[in-house]
Amino acid sequence: MNIIKKALKMGADDVVVESQRGFSKQIRFANNTVTISQLWNILATSIFLTWNNRVVATTIHDSSEKTVNAALRKLMKTVKVVKINKNYYNIAEGPFIYKKITDIFDPRLKELGEKAIDIVDSSINKALEFSEKTAGVFYNTCVERFLETSRGVKAKEEKTNVQINIRAFNAKDESGQAVSCSRTLSKFEPEKAAEKAGTISKLAKNPKHGKTGKFDVVFDPLSIADLLSLVGRFSSAFMVDSGYSFLTDKIGKMVANKKVTVVDDGRMENGFISTQFDSEGYPTQRTPIIENGILKTYLHNTSTAKKFKTKTTGNAGLIAPEPTNTILIPGKHSKEEIFREVKNGLYITNVWYTRFQNYRTGDFSTIPRDGIFLIKNGEIAGSFKNIRVSDNLERMLKNVAAISNKPEWIQWWEVENPVYTPYVLIKNVNITLPTM
Amino acid sequence: MLHLVDKILNLAEKQADYAEVRYEKLDKNKIILKNSNLEVVEFGVTEGICIRVLLNGALATSYICEGKFEKAKAAVENAVKSAKASARILKKKIGFSKETPYKDNYEVKEKIKLKNVSIEEKIKEVVNIDKEIMSTKLKIPARFFDLSDAVREKLYMNSEGARIHSIIPRINFEYLLTFVGKNSEQRMYQFSASGGWEIFKNWDLKKKLLEEAKLLAKISKAPKAPAGKMDLLVSPDIAGIVAHESTGHPYEADRILGREAAQAGESFVTANMGGTRIGSDVVNLIDDPTIPHSFGFYLYDDEGVKAQKRLLIKNGIINSFLHNRETAFEFGIKSNAAARANHWNAEPIVRMANTFFMPGDHSFEELVEEIKKGIYIKSYMEWNIDDKRYNQRYGGLECYKILNGRICGLVRRPILEITTPAFYNSVDACGKDLDFSAGTCGKGDPMQAIPVWFGGPHIRLRNVFIK
Repeated sequence: MNIIKKALKMGADDVVVESQRGFSKQIRFANNTVTISQLWNILATSIFLTWNNRVVATTIHDSSEKTVNAALRKLMKTVKVVKINKNYYNIAEGPFIYKKITDIFDPRLKELGEKAIDIVDSSINKALEFSEKTAGVFYNTCVERFLETSRGVKAKEEKTNVQINIRAFNAKDESGQAVSCSRTLSKFEPEKAAEKAGTISKLAKNPKHGKTGKFDVVFDPLSIADLLSLVGRFSSAFMVDSGYSFLTDKIGKMVANKKVTVVDDGRMENGFISTQFDSEGYPTQRTPIIENGILKTYLHNTSTAKKFKTKTTGNAGLIAPEPTNTILIPGKHSKEEIFREVKNGLYITNVWYTRFQNYRTGDFSTIPRDGIFLIKNGEIAGSFKNIRVSDNLERMLKNVAAISNKPEWIQWWEVENPVYTPYVLIKNVNITLPTM
Repeated sequence: MLHLVDKILNLAEKQADYAEVRYEKLDKNKIILKNSNLEVVEFGVTEGICIRVLLNGALATSYICEGKFEKAKAAVENAVKSAKASARILKKKIGFSKETPYKDNYEVKEKIKLKNVSIEEKIKEVVNIDKEIMSTKLKIPARFFDLSDAVREKLYMNSEGARIHSIIPRINFEYLLTFVGKNSEQRMYQFSASGGWEIFKNWDLKKKLLEEAKLLAKISKAPKAPAGKMDLLVSPDIAGIVAHESTGHPYEADRILGREAAQAGESFVTANMGGTRIGSDVVNLIDDPTIPHSFGFYLYDDEGVKAQKRLLIKNGIINSFLHNRETAFEFGIKSNAAARANHWNAEPIVRMANTFFMPGDHSFEELVEEIKKGIYIKSYMEWNIDDKRYNQRYGGLECYKILNGRICGLVRRPILEITTPAFYNSVDACGKDLDFSAGTCGKGDPMQAIPVWFGGPHIRLRNVFIK
């Protein structure tokens, strides 16, 4: 008997069983050599169960009958003693028909095996053409995902992805970082990433202590992805309710420049986490979050949609809505045209450690790392270090002046939720410095 | 489980120069209450094994969960195969420092066992905290609470004869309160420790969060903090985050050697900076995993090395770094037991445990009375630091003006943005008190969130720039 039938027989109302099995392979490197090679055998089954509007969940890593029965018994025992979840309004009523998404599985990645080490080797060597030292990580993942719900959903899909994050170093404080991520081997460009990281590190020659003030800043896809990823995360209705979002109470209001359209697209071709169905089995979709500067919607599952009097956006995680691929719709300008717009500004290639003084107001700071360049009349005129972007996220989105026409996929250690974004020019960004 | 771990170790040590096997079982419960609504109760028991081998100077791991234990032989072979493949392009061989192979068994005692406290009781406690805040009638529309507890059992064995068994229960309460008024103010914080349910009861969270809710309302009406050069008094909360971010992290030897360069970054501290002055004479800083009931508590690290107190800064001078066996080998010294993995599916890397400024000889009153013009930062929200741990920022939350040796009214959002040497060299006195805050520190790839404490006494800094 399967888990759903067992749970229903035990008295559960709604049940979702989501399983993943497969592998993830990692090769880490630093100082131009491999530091560790790791292999995870993935086997996990998450069970979400409700009874009389009470919600409980668990995850097991063993699908034996004994383990499943024990988990279900504990779920049923627990669900009968917990309080009602007044925000729970059932899961999506299936079954659904799912349309295939192009390029989310590549059998060659399933069989990549030890060839991965050659990819790492050639990437290190490419970066070393421009730099003295490299560090980074390579991942290759292949997972089968199964979903079954008590509301008629029975779905499965096979997914692959491959990615590299590479950082190149020259002399002190001269570094560059770049990533390549893809669902298929043919669209994976590790050497291009290595070349970009190396080139930035070479350009970042002899950086000087930066200057404080308001600057027009060109954000590289790697750096703006850090902030856009947060826009995606803060769009979850759960985050809004929890106080973790500057988008609270702003549906229908301008939250960005009219040039800005941000979309959550769970169905994008080669999208880094594109998937046919969310964790309720509802078909994923393309949802404009911000359209021409106006906040159109939060991201929903069936329950949050009901609470906010709207429809699900197909973003259900087992407990709360989650973003899929966050897309900044490209503009019309080339990257070169955007740089030419800048008379006296900065080019920030990467940021990390973004933290908020207040999530609800969007007051935050983030720290540029790797190449930080002074731009004079569209040309690189020097290199900086030790600066910080100390601003407000909504104010920055409203100050977007131009968006380039070629987006890139970004997902790495710092940008957990994948983002597809071009270069972005933002006016009057507040830059601060530490006292020495 | 001993039999399985022993069997896997036997398989692995025959095929590698060095092998270790770490079994972990985690029994976890989690309650999320949001705006008076119980969102979910989650629980689960997960078991898994990390197999780590060193072969021809290449390091490799293979991880298997409970449902794959019968595939242990294949997992060992995969680790060996990966190490062999890496060895093909290896430019420098990895080695481990020589260590005593301890055999021991320890457990953190729980006066009230976490497993004996019903889920209803745990929910009731969180609901009561929320009710207490609601009773103020203050406009706090968003209230997010996350109570979790976990009992982690580990069995570690390596091919050199080490065998450590441990059981550590931990309890953790995190929250975010959002006040909306003239200005919006938020407070995010966590209380965490190792031990049983008695720890939660001792926290007296109803009282503490009620005070915080009232305080947010007051802070929102406070005038903007004055800017300019002045003296600064920081609480143990701020001293702690400073200790963690700008001493603990840059003294992690793996960062110094560049192993984390593409993720958490490197360090402004270089391998040859031992003995260099980094702060004033009164700065002494320690990392100590052995503090009973601390969140970062352990008696042996995840390489079987016996835990010890590490004096990182002595009288303002860099004294030692944090090491695992790999970095200790590079430095030609012994490990000081800083290798930690956050779960069975993670490699042990260099981590902090409980990092803090050592107390000095000043009473709180003495610290304050010698300040003519200054700011007292008691708590913070925003903070960050660059990836070399040189340029840091702390955004004050509960803060007061100090004038002529007296603490005056609340002020809003003073910002301290300062380099690490500037901070440590500005410290002129440390209080007699000592308190800790809890954190879940992120490092490694994949990200490993690890339990830590950080703290210190009240600390006075002279003539720093406040924004």
